[in-house]
Amino acid sequence: MSLEINCQLRRDQFNLEVHLTVAPGSVLAITGENGSGKTSTLDMIAGLLACTTGKISLNSRVFDDSTTNQFVQPEKRSVSTVFQGGGLFSHMTVEKNIVFGRGAAFRNTPRFDSAVEQFDLAGLLSRKPSTLSGGQRQRVALARAFLAPSEILLLDEPTTSLDATSRDEVRSAMKTFFETYNGVVILVSHDDAEIAELATNVAQITISRGENTTATLHS
Amino acid sequence: MKRSLSAPSGLWLVALPAAAIVIVPVLAVFWRTDWSSFLTSISNETSRTALVLSLRTSLVATSLALVFGTPLAWLLANRDFKFKSLVRAFCVLPMVLPPVVGGVALLYAFGRRGLVGARLDEWFGIQLAFTETAAILAQFFVAAPFFILVMEAAFDQVDRRIVGTARTFGAGPWRTFATVTLGLVRPSLLAALVLTWARALGEFGATIAFAGNTAGRTQTVPLAVYSQLESGGDDALALSTLMMIVSLGVLIALRGRWVSALRRGGQ
Repeated sequence: MSLEINCQLRRDQFNLEVHLTVAPGSVLAITGENGSGKTSTLDMIAGLLACTTGKISLNSRVFDDSTTNQFVQPEKRSVSTVFQGGGLFSHMTVEKNIVFGRGAAFRNTPRFDSAVEQFDLAGLLSRKPSTLSGGQRQRVALARAFLAPSEILLLDEPTTSLDATSRDEVRSAMKTFFETYNGVVILVSHDDAEIAELATNVAQITISRGENTTATLHS
Repeated sequence: MKRSLSAPSGLWLVALPAAAIVIVPVLAVFWRTDWSSFLTSISNETSRTALVLSLRTSLVATSLALVFGTPLAWLLANRDFKFKSLVRAFCVLPMVLPPVVGGVALLYAFGRRGLVGARLDEWFGIQLAFTETAAILAQFFVAAPFFILVMEAAFDQVDRRIVGTARTFGAGPWRTFATVTLGLVRPSLLAALVLTWARALGEFGATIAFAGNTAGRTQTVPLAVYSQLESGGDDALALSTLMMIVSLGVLIALRGRWVSALRRGGQ
Protein backbone atom coordinates (compact mmCIF):
# COMPACT_ATOMS: atom_id res chain seq x y z
CA MET A 1 0.00 0.00 0.00
CA SER A 2 2.06 2.92 -1.24
CA LEU A 3 2.93 5.22 -4.07
CA GLU A 4 5.06 3.40 -6.62
CA ILE A 5 6.88 5.12 -9.40
CA ASN A 6 8.95 3.35 -12.01
CA CYS A 7 9.17 5.55 -15.03
CA GLN A 8 11.24 7.44 -17.52
CA LEU A 9 10.80 10.85 -19.03
CA ARG A 10 12.69 11.49 -22.26
CA ARG A 11 13.19 14.90 -23.77
CA ASP A 12 15.59 15.85 -26.54
CA GLN A 13 18.87 15.06 -24.81
CA PHE A 14 17.65 14.64 -21.29
CA ASN A 15 16.55 11.41 -19.64
CA LEU A 16 14.94 11.30 -16.26
CA GLU A 17 14.73 7.95 -14.56
CA VAL A 18 12.61 7.68 -11.41
CA HIS A 19 12.24 4.64 -9.17
CA LEU A 20 10.50 5.46 -5.93
CA THR A 21 8.33 3.71 -3.40
CA VAL A 22 6.81 5.95 -0.76
CA ALA A 23 4.64 4.65 2.08
CA PRO A 24 1.71 6.60 3.52
CA GLY A 25 2.69 8.57 6.60
CA SER A 26 6.23 9.07 5.43
CA VAL A 27 7.75 12.28 4.16
CA LEU A 28 10.17 11.79 1.29
CA ALA A 29 12.53 14.66 0.56
CA ILE A 30 13.89 14.91 -2.99
CA THR A 31 17.08 16.83 -3.53
CA GLY A 32 19.25 17.48 -6.54
CA GLU A 33 20.73 20.29 -8.53
CA ASN A 34 18.65 22.76 -10.53
CA GLY A 35 17.30 21.38 -13.77
CA SER A 36 17.81 17.78 -12.69
CA GLY A 37 14.13 16.94 -12.95
CA LYS A 38 12.72 17.40 -9.44
CA THR A 39 9.75 19.44 -10.61
CA SER A 40 9.20 17.10 -13.56
CA THR A 41 9.04 14.20 -11.09
CA LEU A 42 6.27 15.97 -9.16
CA ASP A 43 4.51 16.80 -12.43
CA MET A 44 4.49 13.13 -13.44
CA ILE A 45 2.99 12.14 -10.10
CA ALA A 46 0.40 14.93 -10.27
CA GLY A 47 -0.51 14.06 -13.86
CA LEU A 48 0.66 17.31 -15.41
CA LEU A 49 3.18 15.31 -17.42
CA ALA A 50 2.91 11.77 -18.75
CA CYS A 51 5.77 9.31 -18.34
CA THR A 52 7.41 8.48 -21.65
CA THR A 53 7.62 4.87 -20.52
CA GLY A 54 6.84 3.17 -17.23
CA LYS A 55 4.20 3.12 -14.57
CA ILE A 56 2.93 5.12 -11.61
CA SER A 57 0.43 3.69 -9.16
CA LEU A 58 -1.01 4.44 -5.77
CA ASN A 59 -2.22 1.50 -3.67
CA SER A 60 -2.56 -0.56 -6.84
CA ARG A 61 -4.61 2.18 -8.49
CA VAL A 62 -2.81 2.81 -11.79
CA PHE A 63 -2.27 6.52 -12.58
CA ASP A 64 -0.05 6.17 -15.60
CA ASP A 65 1.04 3.10 -17.53
CA SER A 66 2.73 3.32 -20.89
CA THR A 67 2.23 -0.38 -21.65
CA THR A 68 -1.56 -0.29 -21.26
CA ASN A 69 -1.86 3.35 -22.37
CA GLN A 70 -3.59 4.35 -19.15
CA PHE A 71 -3.43 7.94 -17.98
CA VAL A 72 -5.50 9.33 -15.13
CA GLN A 73 -6.16 13.09 -15.31
CA PRO A 74 -4.73 15.22 -12.46
CA GLU A 75 -8.16 15.99 -10.99
CA LYS A 76 -8.77 12.25 -10.49
CA ARG A 77 -5.48 11.46 -8.74
CA SER A 78 -6.31 12.81 -5.25
CA VAL A 79 -3.17 14.84 -5.06
CA SER A 80 -2.78 18.28 -3.63
CA THR A 81 0.09 20.55 -4.44
CA VAL A 82 2.12 23.43 -3.09
CA PHE A 83 4.18 24.65 -6.00
CA GLN A 84 6.98 27.16 -6.02
CA GLY A 85 5.73 30.65 -5.26
CA GLY A 86 2.49 29.15 -3.93
CA GLY A 87 0.64 28.74 -7.22
CA LEU A 88 -2.23 30.85 -5.86
CA PHE A 89 -5.06 32.11 -8.07
CA SER A 90 -4.28 35.81 -8.24
CA HIS A 91 -7.84 36.85 -9.12
CA MET A 92 -9.39 35.15 -6.08
CA THR A 93 -9.38 36.12 -2.43
CA VAL A 94 -7.44 34.04 0.08
CA GLU A 95 -10.72 32.50 1.25
CA LYS A 96 -11.71 31.41 -2.27
CA ASN A 97 -8.22 30.09 -2.85
CA ILE A 98 -8.19 27.84 0.18
CA VAL A 99 -11.62 26.31 -0.45
CA PHE A 100 -10.89 25.80 -4.17
CA GLY A 101 -10.56 22.04 -3.77
CA ARG A 102 -13.80 21.83 -1.79
CA GLY A 103 -16.34 24.37 -2.99
CA ALA A 104 -17.70 27.50 -1.35
CA ALA A 105 -19.97 25.69 1.12
CA PHE A 106 -16.92 24.33 2.90
CA ARG A 107 -16.42 27.75 4.52
CA ASN A 108 -18.96 26.87 7.18
CA THR A 109 -17.25 23.75 8.44
CA PRO A 110 -15.15 23.27 11.58
CA ARG A 111 -12.31 21.98 9.43
CA PHE A 112 -12.18 25.32 7.61
CA ASP A 113 -12.03 27.18 10.92
CA SER A 114 -9.28 24.95 12.20
CA ALA A 115 -7.25 25.48 8.99
CA VAL A 116 -7.61 29.24 9.32
CA GLU A 117 -6.32 28.98 12.86
CA GLN A 118 -3.57 26.46 12.17
CA PHE A 119 -2.11 28.48 9.29
CA ASP A 120 -2.78 31.83 10.96
CA LEU A 121 -4.94 33.27 8.17
CA ALA A 122 -7.69 35.00 10.17
CA GLY A 123 -6.81 38.54 9.04
CA LEU A 124 -6.06 37.59 5.46
CA LEU A 125 -9.23 35.88 4.21
CA SER A 126 -10.57 38.75 2.12
CA ARG A 127 -7.19 39.80 0.71
CA LYS A 128 -5.87 39.07 -2.79
CA PRO A 129 -2.60 37.10 -3.09
CA SER A 130 -0.76 40.06 -4.65
CA THR A 131 -1.07 41.95 -1.34
CA LEU A 132 0.51 39.15 0.72
CA SER A 133 4.11 38.59 1.70
CA GLY A 134 5.96 35.52 0.43
CA GLY A 135 5.51 33.71 3.73
CA GLN A 136 1.79 34.52 3.91
CA ARG A 137 1.35 33.25 0.37
CA GLN A 138 2.96 29.93 1.23
CA ARG A 139 0.77 29.58 4.32
CA VAL A 140 -2.30 30.11 2.11
CA ALA A 141 -0.99 27.50 -0.33
CA LEU A 142 -0.46 25.08 2.56
CA ALA A 143 -3.96 25.71 3.90
CA ARG A 144 -5.43 25.03 0.46
CA ALA A 145 -3.52 21.74 0.26
CA PHE A 146 -4.56 20.93 3.84
CA LEU A 147 -8.26 21.42 3.10
CA ALA A 148 -8.38 19.53 -0.18
CA PRO A 149 -9.11 15.82 0.16
CA SER A 150 -5.94 14.05 -0.93
CA GLU A 151 -3.79 10.98 -0.53
CA ILE A 152 -0.63 12.51 -1.95
CA LEU A 153 0.83 15.85 -0.99
CA LEU A 154 3.44 17.37 -3.30
CA LEU A 155 5.53 20.35 -2.24
CA ASP A 156 8.00 22.04 -4.56
CA GLU A 157 10.56 24.12 -2.68
CA PRO A 158 7.95 25.74 -0.44
CA THR A 159 10.48 27.82 1.48
CA THR A 160 12.88 28.82 -1.28
CA SER A 161 12.98 32.59 -1.82
CA LEU A 162 11.60 33.33 1.64
CA ASP A 163 13.43 35.37 4.27
CA ALA A 164 14.57 33.62 7.46
CA THR A 165 11.56 34.61 9.58
CA SER A 166 8.94 33.56 7.02
CA ARG A 167 10.89 30.39 6.38
CA ASP A 168 10.64 29.40 10.04
CA GLU A 169 6.90 30.21 10.04
CA VAL A 170 6.21 28.15 6.95
CA ARG A 171 8.41 25.32 8.16
CA SER A 172 6.58 25.02 11.47
CA ALA A 173 3.25 25.17 9.59
CA MET A 174 4.42 22.25 7.46
CA LYS A 175 5.54 20.31 10.52
CA THR A 176 2.11 20.50 12.14
CA PHE A 177 0.47 19.70 8.81
CA PHE A 178 2.61 16.58 8.18
CA GLU A 179 2.06 15.26 11.69
CA THR A 180 -1.66 14.81 11.09
CA TYR A 181 -1.48 13.88 7.41
CA ASN A 182 -2.15 10.23 6.59
CA GLY A 183 -1.07 10.20 2.97
CA VAL A 184 2.21 10.27 1.09
CA VAL A 185 4.24 13.46 1.34
CA ILE A 186 6.92 14.35 -1.21
CA LEU A 187 8.93 17.45 -0.50
CA VAL A 188 11.38 18.93 -2.99
CA SER A 189 13.94 20.94 -1.06
CA HIS A 190 17.45 22.33 -1.21
CA ASP A 191 17.60 23.05 2.47
CA ASP A 192 19.42 20.47 4.62
CA ALA A 193 18.04 21.86 7.88
CA GLU A 194 14.50 21.67 6.50
CA ILE A 195 15.03 18.10 5.32
CA ALA A 196 16.47 17.09 8.70
CA GLU A 197 13.50 18.60 10.50
CA LEU A 198 10.66 17.40 8.27
CA ALA A 199 11.63 14.39 6.20
CA THR A 200 11.56 10.72 7.13
CA ASN A 201 13.42 9.61 3.97
CA VAL A 202 15.67 11.32 1.47
CA ALA A 203 16.23 10.58 -2.20
CA GLN A 204 18.77 12.39 -4.28
CA ILE A 205 18.77 12.82 -8.03
CA THR A 206 22.13 11.87 -9.46
CA ILE A 207 23.18 13.09 -12.85
CA SER A 208 25.49 11.57 -15.38
CA ARG A 209 26.42 13.80 -18.25
CA GLY A 210 27.49 12.50 -21.59
CA GLU A 211 26.06 12.92 -25.02
CA ASN A 212 22.73 12.61 -23.27
CA THR A 213 22.17 13.74 -19.71
CA THR A 214 20.63 11.10 -17.51
CA ALA A 215 19.18 11.97 -14.13
CA THR A 216 18.36 9.10 -11.83
CA LEU A 217 16.25 9.11 -8.70
CA HIS A 218 16.17 6.07 -6.40
CA SER A 219 14.60 5.69 -3.02
CA MET B 1 19.50 73.81 -17.61
CA LYS B 2 16.96 71.03 -17.44
CA ARG B 3 18.24 68.28 -15.22
CA SER B 4 17.38 65.25 -17.33
CA LEU B 5 18.82 63.22 -20.16
CA SER B 6 18.50 65.13 -23.43
CA ALA B 7 16.45 63.85 -26.39
CA PRO B 8 17.27 64.49 -30.04
CA SER B 9 16.42 68.15 -30.65
CA GLY B 10 13.68 69.26 -33.00
CA LEU B 11 11.52 66.17 -32.58
CA TRP B 12 8.50 68.28 -31.61
CA LEU B 13 8.67 70.15 -34.87
CA VAL B 14 8.33 66.93 -36.86
CA ALA B 15 5.98 65.18 -34.44
CA LEU B 16 3.43 68.00 -34.32
CA PRO B 17 2.05 67.56 -37.87
CA ALA B 18 1.47 63.87 -37.15
CA ALA B 19 -0.61 64.73 -34.10
CA ALA B 20 -2.36 67.61 -35.87
CA ILE B 21 -3.54 65.52 -38.80
CA VAL B 22 -5.48 63.36 -36.33
CA ILE B 23 -6.57 66.02 -33.89
CA VAL B 24 -7.73 68.73 -36.32
CA PRO B 25 -10.44 66.67 -38.09
CA VAL B 26 -11.85 65.58 -34.72
CA LEU B 27 -12.00 69.18 -33.57
CA ALA B 28 -13.47 70.23 -36.93
CA VAL B 29 -16.41 67.84 -36.54
CA PHE B 30 -17.18 69.13 -33.05
CA TRP B 31 -16.71 72.74 -34.19
CA ARG B 32 -19.08 72.45 -37.13
CA THR B 33 -21.75 70.50 -35.30
CA ASP B 34 -24.90 72.51 -34.80
CA TRP B 35 -25.56 71.52 -31.20
CA SER B 36 -29.04 73.11 -31.15
CA SER B 37 -30.25 70.67 -33.82
CA PHE B 38 -27.95 67.79 -32.82
CA LEU B 39 -30.64 65.87 -30.95
CA THR B 40 -33.27 66.31 -33.68
CA SER B 41 -30.74 65.24 -36.30
CA ILE B 42 -29.82 62.01 -34.59
CA SER B 43 -33.39 61.19 -33.61
CA ASN B 44 -35.10 61.59 -37.00
CA GLU B 45 -36.45 58.48 -38.73
CA THR B 46 -33.38 57.61 -40.87
CA SER B 47 -30.86 58.25 -38.10
CA ARG B 48 -32.86 56.42 -35.47
CA THR B 49 -33.36 53.38 -37.68
CA ALA B 50 -29.64 53.34 -38.52
CA LEU B 51 -28.68 53.72 -34.86
CA VAL B 52 -30.92 50.90 -33.69
CA LEU B 53 -29.71 48.66 -36.51
CA SER B 54 -26.07 49.49 -35.80
CA LEU B 55 -26.46 48.80 -32.11
CA ARG B 56 -28.22 45.48 -32.73
CA THR B 57 -25.88 44.19 -35.44
CA SER B 58 -22.68 45.25 -33.68
CA LEU B 59 -23.76 43.62 -30.42
CA VAL B 60 -24.65 40.37 -32.21
CA ALA B 61 -21.36 40.43 -34.14
CA THR B 62 -19.44 40.99 -30.88
CA SER B 63 -21.31 38.15 -29.17
CA LEU B 64 -20.44 35.86 -32.08
CA ALA B 65 -16.80 36.88 -31.76
CA LEU B 66 -16.98 36.04 -28.04
CA VAL B 67 -18.63 32.66 -28.53
CA PHE B 68 -16.57 31.45 -31.49
CA GLY B 69 -13.42 33.52 -31.03
CA THR B 70 -12.69 32.47 -27.44
CA PRO B 71 -12.19 28.75 -28.19
CA LEU B 72 -10.17 29.57 -31.30
CA ALA B 73 -7.92 31.98 -29.40
CA TRP B 74 -7.45 29.39 -26.63
CA LEU B 75 -6.50 26.70 -29.12
CA LEU B 76 -4.06 29.02 -30.89
CA ALA B 77 -2.41 29.85 -27.57
CA ASN B 78 -2.38 26.38 -26.01
CA ARG B 79 -2.36 23.66 -28.61
CA ASP B 80 -0.08 22.73 -31.45
CA PHE B 81 -1.91 21.59 -34.52
CA LYS B 82 -1.29 21.25 -38.22
CA PHE B 83 -1.40 24.46 -40.22
CA LYS B 84 -1.56 26.51 -37.01
CA SER B 85 0.40 29.44 -38.41
CA LEU B 86 -1.73 29.33 -41.53
CA VAL B 87 -4.93 29.42 -39.44
CA ARG B 88 -3.54 32.32 -37.43
CA ALA B 89 -2.54 34.20 -40.58
CA PHE B 90 -6.05 33.80 -42.00
CA CYS B 91 -7.58 34.95 -38.71
CA VAL B 92 -5.59 38.17 -38.87
CA LEU B 93 -5.97 38.70 -42.62
CA PRO B 94 -9.16 40.83 -42.33
CA MET B 95 -7.18 43.35 -40.26
CA VAL B 96 -4.89 44.16 -43.19
CA LEU B 97 -7.37 43.52 -45.99
CA PRO B 98 -9.33 46.50 -47.38
CA PRO B 99 -12.78 45.92 -45.81
CA VAL B 100 -14.52 46.31 -49.16
CA VAL B 101 -12.43 43.42 -50.50
CA GLY B 102 -13.60 41.43 -47.48
CA GLY B 103 -17.17 42.27 -48.52
CA VAL B 104 -16.51 41.03 -52.05
CA ALA B 105 -15.00 37.84 -50.62
CA LEU B 106 -18.06 37.35 -48.41
CA LEU B 107 -20.26 37.84 -51.46
CA TYR B 108 -18.40 35.12 -53.36
CA ALA B 109 -18.65 32.82 -50.36
CA PHE B 110 -22.17 33.44 -49.05
CA GLY B 111 -23.82 35.35 -51.89
CA ARG B 112 -26.61 33.68 -53.87
CA ARG B 113 -24.11 32.36 -56.41
CA GLY B 114 -21.36 31.95 -53.85
CA LEU B 115 -19.41 28.88 -52.90
CA VAL B 116 -21.52 28.20 -49.80
CA GLY B 117 -24.36 30.59 -50.54
CA ALA B 118 -25.52 28.66 -53.63
CA ARG B 119 -25.91 25.49 -51.53
CA LEU B 120 -27.67 27.37 -48.73
CA ASP B 121 -30.12 28.72 -51.27
CA GLU B 122 -30.57 25.40 -53.07
CA TRP B 123 -30.93 23.19 -49.98
CA PHE B 124 -32.52 25.45 -47.39
CA GLY B 125 -33.78 28.44 -49.38
CA ILE B 126 -31.57 30.70 -47.29
CA GLN B 127 -30.26 33.86 -48.91
CA LEU B 128 -27.77 35.79 -46.84
CA ALA B 129 -26.52 38.59 -49.08
CA PHE B 130 -28.15 42.01 -48.65
CA THR B 131 -29.85 41.04 -45.38
CA GLU B 132 -29.31 42.12 -41.79
CA THR B 133 -27.49 38.80 -41.25
CA ALA B 134 -25.09 39.84 -44.00
CA ALA B 135 -24.40 43.10 -42.15
CA ILE B 136 -23.66 41.06 -39.01
CA LEU B 137 -21.37 38.69 -40.90
CA ALA B 138 -19.54 41.63 -42.48
CA GLN B 139 -18.97 43.15 -39.05
CA PHE B 140 -17.87 39.82 -37.63
CA PHE B 141 -15.44 39.38 -40.53
CA VAL B 142 -13.63 42.65 -39.90
CA ALA B 143 -13.96 42.83 -36.11
CA ALA B 144 -13.41 39.26 -34.87
CA PRO B 145 -9.65 39.34 -35.66
CA PHE B 146 -9.20 42.01 -32.98
CA PHE B 147 -10.90 39.76 -30.46
CA ILE B 148 -8.94 36.67 -31.46
CA LEU B 149 -5.59 38.47 -31.44
CA VAL B 150 -6.06 40.09 -28.04
CA MET B 151 -7.43 36.89 -26.51
CA GLU B 152 -4.68 34.69 -27.92
CA ALA B 153 -2.12 36.99 -26.34
CA ALA B 154 -4.09 36.91 -23.09
CA PHE B 155 -4.37 33.10 -22.97
CA ASP B 156 -0.70 32.86 -23.84
CA GLN B 157 0.13 34.95 -20.77
CA VAL B 158 -1.71 32.65 -18.38
CA ASP B 159 0.74 30.71 -16.22
CA ARG B 160 0.51 27.02 -17.18
CA ARG B 161 1.51 26.06 -13.65
CA ILE B 162 -1.45 27.91 -12.15
CA VAL B 163 -3.78 26.08 -14.53
CA GLY B 164 -2.06 22.81 -13.60
CA THR B 165 -2.50 23.63 -9.92
CA ALA B 166 -6.23 24.01 -10.42
CA ARG B 167 -6.33 20.58 -12.07
CA THR B 168 -4.54 18.95 -9.13
CA PHE B 169 -7.14 20.43 -6.79
CA GLY B 170 -9.87 18.45 -8.46
CA ALA B 171 -11.09 20.89 -11.11
CA GLY B 172 -11.65 19.28 -14.51
CA PRO B 173 -10.61 21.05 -17.69
CA TRP B 174 -13.90 22.92 -18.07
CA ARG B 175 -14.12 24.08 -14.47
CA THR B 176 -10.48 25.13 -14.61
CA PHE B 177 -11.16 27.12 -17.78
CA ALA B 178 -14.26 28.78 -16.35
CA THR B 179 -13.01 29.63 -12.87
CA VAL B 180 -9.27 30.07 -13.28
CA THR B 181 -8.31 30.82 -16.89
CA LEU B 182 -11.26 33.12 -17.61
CA GLY B 183 -10.79 34.85 -14.25
CA LEU B 184 -7.16 35.54 -15.02
CA VAL B 185 -7.84 36.94 -18.51
CA ARG B 186 -10.89 38.99 -17.49
CA PRO B 187 -9.28 42.44 -17.97
CA SER B 188 -8.11 41.45 -21.46
CA LEU B 189 -11.49 39.92 -22.25
CA LEU B 190 -13.27 43.19 -21.45
CA ALA B 191 -10.78 45.19 -23.49
CA ALA B 192 -11.13 42.75 -26.39
CA LEU B 193 -14.94 42.97 -26.28
CA VAL B 194 -15.01 46.76 -26.30
CA LEU B 195 -12.42 46.97 -29.06
CA THR B 196 -14.29 44.42 -31.17
CA TRP B 197 -17.60 46.16 -30.63
CA ALA B 198 -16.13 49.54 -31.61
CA ARG B 199 -14.67 48.05 -34.79
CA ALA B 200 -17.98 46.34 -35.65
CA LEU B 201 -19.89 49.57 -35.03
CA GLY B 202 -17.69 51.45 -37.48
CA GLU B 203 -17.74 48.84 -40.23
CA PHE B 204 -18.42 50.27 -43.68
CA GLY B 205 -16.62 48.67 -46.63
CA ALA B 206 -17.51 45.00 -46.14
CA THR B 207 -21.08 45.92 -45.21
CA ILE B 208 -21.79 48.02 -48.30
CA ALA B 209 -20.34 45.31 -50.58
CA PHE B 210 -21.98 42.28 -48.97
CA ALA B 211 -25.09 43.68 -47.30
CA GLY B 212 -25.82 46.72 -49.42
CA ASN B 213 -27.19 50.04 -48.24
CA THR B 214 -30.91 49.54 -47.66
CA ALA B 215 -32.42 51.85 -45.06
CA GLY B 216 -33.97 49.88 -42.19
CA ARG B 217 -32.37 46.61 -43.27
CA THR B 218 -28.64 47.03 -43.79
CA GLN B 219 -28.05 50.75 -43.51
CA THR B 220 -25.95 51.02 -40.37
CA VAL B 221 -24.76 54.39 -39.07
CA PRO B 222 -21.55 54.60 -41.16
CA LEU B 223 -23.60 53.81 -44.28
CA ALA B 224 -26.21 56.39 -43.30
CA VAL B 225 -23.46 58.98 -42.90
CA TYR B 226 -22.20 58.12 -46.38
CA SER B 227 -25.68 58.37 -47.93
CA GLN B 228 -26.39 61.65 -46.19
CA LEU B 229 -23.09 63.05 -47.37
CA GLU B 230 -23.85 62.02 -50.96
CA SER B 231 -27.32 63.55 -50.93
CA GLY B 232 -26.17 66.68 -49.12
CA GLY B 233 -28.28 66.03 -46.03
CA ASP B 234 -27.45 67.65 -42.71
CA ASP B 235 -27.54 64.52 -40.61
CA ALA B 236 -24.11 63.30 -41.78
CA LEU B 237 -22.38 65.72 -39.44
CA ALA B 238 -24.58 64.95 -36.44
CA LEU B 239 -24.18 61.19 -36.89
CA SER B 240 -20.44 61.63 -37.34
CA THR B 241 -20.29 63.59 -34.13
CA LEU B 242 -22.19 60.84 -32.35
CA MET B 243 -19.80 58.16 -33.66
CA MET B 244 -16.90 60.34 -32.61
CA ILE B 245 -18.29 60.66 -29.09
CA VAL B 246 -18.82 56.89 -28.86
CA SER B 247 -15.28 56.17 -30.09
CA LEU B 248 -13.71 58.68 -27.72
CA GLY B 249 -15.81 57.23 -24.91
CA VAL B 250 -14.48 53.76 -25.70
CA LEU B 251 -10.89 54.97 -25.64
CA ILE B 252 -11.40 56.84 -22.39
CA ALA B 253 -13.09 53.80 -20.84
CA LEU B 254 -10.21 51.56 -21.83
CA ARG B 255 -7.52 54.14 -20.99
CA GLY B 256 -4.94 52.56 -23.24
CA ARG B 257 -5.62 49.11 -21.83
CA TRP B 258 -6.17 47.64 -25.29
CA VAL B 259 -2.71 48.79 -26.34
CA SER B 260 -1.14 46.85 -23.52
CA ALA B 261 -3.59 44.03 -24.18
CA LEU B 262 -2.35 43.82 -27.76
CA ARG B 263 1.22 44.04 -26.60
CA ARG B 264 1.32 41.44 -23.89
CA GLY B 265 -2.13 40.03 -23.30
CA GLY B 266 -3.18 42.68 -20.77
CA GLN B 267 -3.76 41.85 -17.09
